[in-house]
Amino acid sequence: MMDIKRVISTIEKNYITNNLKKGERIDGRGLWDYRPFCIKTDTISSAEGSADVTLGDTRIITGVKYDIGEPFPDLPNEGVCTIMAELLPLASPLFERGPPDEESIELARVVDRGIRHADCVQTQKLCIKEEKAVYILFVDMYVINHGGNMIDCGGVSALAALISSRIPKGEWVDEVPRWTGKYLNGKELINELPLAITFGKIDDIIFLDPSLPEELVSDGRITLSVTEKEITSIQKSGIATFTIEEIKMLGEKALEIAKNLREELNIWQYVKNST
Amino acid sequence: MTLLIQDEYPKKLLRDDGLRLDGRGLTDLRPIKMEVNVIKNADGSAYIEWGNNKIFASVYGPREVHPHHLAKPDKGILRVFYRMATYSVFERKRPAPGRREKEISMIISECLEPVLFLELYPGTSFEIFIEVIDADGGTRCASTTVAALALADAGIPMRSLVTSCAVGKVDGQLITDLSGIEDKAGDSDMPCAITWFNNEISLLQFDGKMNQEEMTKSLDMLKDALEKIYHMQLDALKSKYIQIQEGIQQ
Repeated sequence: MMDIKRVISTIEKNYITNNLKKGERIDGRGLWDYRPFCIKTDTISSAEGSADVTLGDTRIITGVKYDIGEPFPDLPNEGVCTIMAELLPLASPLFERGPPDEESIELARVVDRGIRHADCVQTQKLCIKEEKAVYILFVDMYVINHGGNMIDCGGVSALAALISSRIPKGEWVDEVPRWTGKYLNGKELINELPLAITFGKIDDIIFLDPSLPEELVSDGRITLSVTEKEITSIQKSGIATFTIEEIKMLGEKALEIAKNLREELNIWQYVKNST
Repeated sequence: MTLLIQDEYPKKLLRDDGLRLDGRGLTDLRPIKMEVNVIKNADGSAYIEWGNNKIFASVYGPREVHPHHLAKPDKGILRVFYRMATYSVFERKRPAPGRREKEISMIISECLEPVLFLELYPGTSFEIFIEVIDADGGTRCASTTVAALALADAGIPMRSLVTSCAVGKVDGQLITDLSGIEDKAGDSDMPCAITWFNNEISLLQFDGKMNQEEMTKSLDMLKDALEKIYHMQLDALKSKYIQIQEGIQQ
């Protein structure tokens, strides 16, 4: 594996590109293969829900916390789910300290949009009393090691953390929210499972799940978040350009890949009981 | 924050049978698990589970100082960044580092610096990033212990390891290794760290009340606890090389 540098040598770039042209990748995968996913949930005892997900060398630990606040005036009976990402400087020499930079905001926003535009988080179930009290869920993703394609890893990590959550269930008594003694679990909180599927592009070659060396030499990438039947968000980033035909092809490809991945990961197995 | 379940502390921290709420005896440590080389991108890294505390540490360096004006022409600098994840505590923490995190970063940095040969690395910096992803009392001790492991894992020359643990007092009894509840509701708390090359205390804070006799006794209890944890650190470092050796033999 090559060292992590901001600038990649021509010889390394050529090595990766020439292999891709032959349909081969430096880690032995095919063009449309993911690196192995590994999911562990319920790893953080202080969080209401948590997931430790690795995709190859990329590792993201996500925790879910809640607060109770007033709803937005235009959505009086809906709770709020916010997604944040931290690219910890401990995870890569490429990450710097300080307030969130473009890359971490993009990661959080792409994962957020994929989830928001699907029928995923059931915000109406996050209401305790109309116009008075709703849940605000905080889904915070922490990157522990950066091995490329943080978006797909983060998407699975956020989803697994939400599905394995147990949020204390509230009722409205004497003008204040009170705990009923039960919990909202993943079954009640989540419906559809949107997955973010990211493709890299070097010259005119497109491939799934770029690893860090591939990401560093590629011209750009495109992420499609898809549910079972629909595309819920797309993000093209980097200086790569895509033809209309390529985008059509990737839409179809993403739905097919997500279907297989959804079956393979079986994220519903992480639901916890509500009592 | 408005939460449905409140973080309440019991009135008594010792049970009728004299044991602590989690079933430990007065001088027992919580279960500790350490591992090195857990973050591939870092020059050195380590992970510790100490009771419910879960902490990662990674080390980068010697590398160029950024911002440049912090560089010293006669020696390297050590910078420690202790941070807590938003979800590591009962009430969600704000993402930006607070005063507490900055203070702890400083005392850990000053505690570790005596074991390094910074004079051999003029104009460079060593950075230790510590991320607490789950917290339950004693995170500064666990962080110091795991940071020393990460430095050793990075192969940075050290005079010795550094080991840290807390002693304190609850319900009038001296105890070793305070848990989260014991720390918040107890009478006193004294986190300490030792640098083994000179057997001296390199981190010391104290909050609460103790008389002279109790102070003497708690420092003796501390010595025993630190010895135990030191051996766990050595085992964690060795196990990395045992794994490599076994890999080659296969």
